[in-house]
Amino acid sequence: MGHRIQRVRRNLSETLAIWLGSRSEWCIGQIRIARAAQGFDLCHRDDSNRDDLKVFSSPFDARFLAQWDDADAYRPLKTAPNLRHGWRLILPDIDELRHAIDYFYPAMLGLLRDWDRSALKPVPLRETLSRQSGMYVMARKISDAQAQDTIAACCNSQSRCLKIILWRISAETLITALPEAKFIPPEAASASGRENFPMLCDEACNLLVSESRAAVKRAAQSDSPSRSQPK
Amino acid sequence: MEKIRSLGVFGEVCCAFWKEEPSLRQVMHTIDSEEVYIVPNFISEGYFTKTVIPRELELSGRVTRRGDRVLKYCDPVGNSERVTELLLRRAAEAAPGVSPAETSLVIVGHGTDLNENSAAAAKREVEKIRAMGIYAEALNAYMEEPPLIAEWDRLASQPNVVVVPFFISDGLHSYEDIPVLLGMENAPRREGIFSAKAAHLRGRSLYYASAIGTEPLFAEIIVEQALAFDPQWDIESNA
Repeated sequence: MGHRIQRVRRNLSETLAIWLGSRSEWCIGQIRIARAAQGFDLCHRDDSNRDDLKVFSSPFDARFLAQWDDADAYRPLKTAPNLRHGWRLILPDIDELRHAIDYFYPAMLGLLRDWDRSALKPVPLRETLSRQSGMYVMARKISDAQAQDTIAACCNSQSRCLKIILWRISAETLITALPEAKFIPPEAASASGRENFPMLCDEACNLLVSESRAAVKRAAQSDSPSRSQPK
Repeated sequence: MEKIRSLGVFGEVCCAFWKEEPSLRQVMHTIDSEEVYIVPNFISEGYFTKTVIPRELELSGRVTRRGDRVLKYCDPVGNSERVTELLLRRAAEAAPGVSPAETSLVIVGHGTDLNENSAAAAKREVEKIRAMGIYAEALNAYMEEPPLIAEWDRLASQPNVVVVPFFISDGLHSYEDIPVLLGMENAPRREGIFSAKAAHLRGRSLYYASAIGTEPLFAEIIVEQALAFDPQWDIESNA
């Protein structure tokens, strides 16, 4: 393997450096990022005043820190508001910061970059569901009312997901089951960079697709006894 | 992914998942490169490589041009000739010092209609191993269709039996389900199920290997699948 394939024009690390600007502290999700003497110092936002944190030094450590919550339960959704506490991650440069954020919050920097360059096209829930195949075909039968309830249960920022929702149920149908703050798109980065890195949801994730299928199944099961009753 | 990054062959290396993050839908937003090789980490062609991945990544064929990007959809890792080598290496590691001439090698796949292609790939591998004549016999078995792995002692004729799961990664099937079907365990457990020690069961010495995807050589196979896509790829020599 004596060759190297490398044709890179975009550079997410450079974009991140522009966003960081001259500030000394930033937030993404539940993480506080501070500029350190050399590099960057990350911890849970709740832990910024603690001095008993366990110190890590590789972006790869972020993968494991992101995997389980405080109760050691697996975190199937990395943007859920249950990031574990008690750690500090010290990274030497912007490339390692980018990789660590990609482990903590996969794809969130990339989505924000494409939002900034107007290259992010939100996909309505109906379109996502109609694309499904196999066992998920059933999910497309979800009613608007069921979809509202499912989205409220699966996507609320208090207990399930911190992302800003950019999509609708359909072109005509807005999501009304969550507070308006859940849908406010981020402003473009200012000349001095960004203080917060908003996490964006441009399309329903597989967890919501799966929950939509479950909602349709539940409704079908609760309907079926009445259908089978003698007239 | 870290292993492939460390090989230094590609400008960047990303992974994407069907059920985890980053998803197949998200991953393209994270990529800087204009030329993207997509290698399905699947043991065979099938529903995921033919339907799900092309649909989710919006691929139009083997080569998709989108804006300033070229997306190259490679063969799944299971199509590599070196899968045979990995299966044999796993088998040898699981039963060190055991004579292949007195050993039945059993490759165990999932089975069921949903995994038709997986069964075909497992059969192909067993035929290749059989033709090499290293083991006294090489057999296919499945979890959910005949020949059933639960009947391994009736299928295999030799005093030593080496079982290698035909799965990319160690998960529920290789950790829990297959050991129970083999009779090694009454109940599923995770620790220490793969060891180089024989289990003496049903009058035989039974050796159980871990899935081939955990083999370090696997990272090289992923890279080779990408490099094999197009021998004319645009290269810059390291020299």
